[in-house]
Amino acid sequence: MNIVVDQGKCVGAGQCVLAADDVFDQRDDDGLVDLLDASPPAERLADVRHAAAVCPASAIAVSE
Amino acid sequence: MSIDAERLKLPLARPNVLDLAPLYEVLRRDAPIAPVTTPAGDPAWLVTRYEEVRLLLGDKRFGRSHPEPEKASRISTAAVQDGPTGEYATEEADHTRMRRLLTPAFSAKRMRMLGENMEELVDSCLDALIAEHEQTGVVDLHRGLAFPLPVAMICRLLGVPEEDNELFASLSERMAGTEIGEEAHKAREEFFGYMVGLVESKRGALGEDVISDLVRAQAEDPSFDYVEMVRLCVGLLFAGHETTVNRIGLGVLFLLTDRSRWDALVADPDGRVDAVVEEVMRLGAPGDLGLLRYAREDVDIAGVTIKAGDALVLSINAANRDASVYSAAEEFDPDRPERTHLGFGHGAHFCIGASLARTELRVVFAALAKRLPSMRLAKELDQLQVRATLTGGVAELPVTWRSA
Repeated sequence: MNIVVDQGKCVGAGQCVLAADDVFDQRDDDGLVDLLDASPPAERLADVRHAAAVCPASAIAVSE
Repeated sequence: MSIDAERLKLPLARPNVLDLAPLYEVLRRDAPIAPVTTPAGDPAWLVTRYEEVRLLLGDKRFGRSHPEPEKASRISTAAVQDGPTGEYATEEADHTRMRRLLTPAFSAKRMRMLGENMEELVDSCLDALIAEHEQTGVVDLHRGLAFPLPVAMICRLLGVPEEDNELFASLSERMAGTEIGEEAHKAREEFFGYMVGLVESKRGALGEDVISDLVRAQAEDPSFDYVEMVRLCVGLLFAGHETTVNRIGLGVLFLLTDRSRWDALVADPDGRVDAVVEEVMRLGAPGDLGLLRYAREDVDIAGVTIKAGDALVLSINAANRDASVYSAAEEFDPDRPERTHLGFGHGAHFCIGASLARTELRVVFAALAKRLPSMRLAKELDQLQVRATLTGGVAELPVTWRSA
């Protein structure tokens, strides 16, 4: 799995952190997405896909 | 049922506080973007299908400002979501700055750190309610929990003195009032005046809270208008009163009007509360309007042409019950496979308080299920007093757990 985040699109909603806090975080200074793990193990796919689906800014791209 | 014989007049009357007007189903199918007359008497488009509501919320051709605000359609008769807001020329830049300022304070991590604090607060509310129940046999969950928890949390975050609680609770209520005419706008002015006083009293001793952050930022940035800053503070305090409070009430009603829903949560509060909260966010429908946008240019969509300057009411309530997206869309089913909804909006204006609200709702419903498993409504749904405000919800939530 490979994850790409777009900080230019990110609106800091934090939805991804609630979905998978081992993969996504929010930066302390501006609250924008901080990708902790760009290629997490395959068993995290469902939560990562959910994070991408609920992102209000469509700022997360996931490829298998 | 014909829907294009004449313009529909909003709001569409609903059968009760949990269900929507059946007409929404017809609209989604036959006229997903329909010309309507707003409660204020002006023309607008009502958008009801999930696909278009989500699309338009994420589309920069639609904003909250208007090039000629005095000519824009007015929407509600309350003093919120009633017309355009912000400067047309600088709307996007202003909004981006505002998000940058506020996002860290409302981040998921910060909210999770508040969770323990919330649990203590909820426990003390429940202790008081349980003691009262021993005397009276019936308690009001609205007054004893749904209201005080979100209000205390937003006060702490914003740095607002909790002892002024009754004042800004009544200001919020009047601002959202749909049946009090000019009083709603008067309340908005009074709320503004209250906030100017608070901002100025804090200025000498700024602290670690959101209003202090905004005062600092405004002092350092000449393009950050003072009036805008104060309006933003009012908006945040208002939102802390008029959103989660109602959502707790609606959630309790969804759970207690069908015992199997409540029993399922009681059986496994920690395992089920997250899904229950998402379903309450999807189905709970406070008020009967939606989010307001104005087109910045002409747009062809779903068979209609929206002209630049036209107003749109995006019905989150209708979109969240769209049968083309959700199986058994009107059913309360936390186990449903569809896990997304528009209950916090979408796009650049996505609710900044979403993580706060989610954390509060999870703490509240888990605690209720654990501590009051035999709770039931003490009045019929139809007898509950519904608030005449834009944000809806119930004014009372009488419950009992006395053996019948």
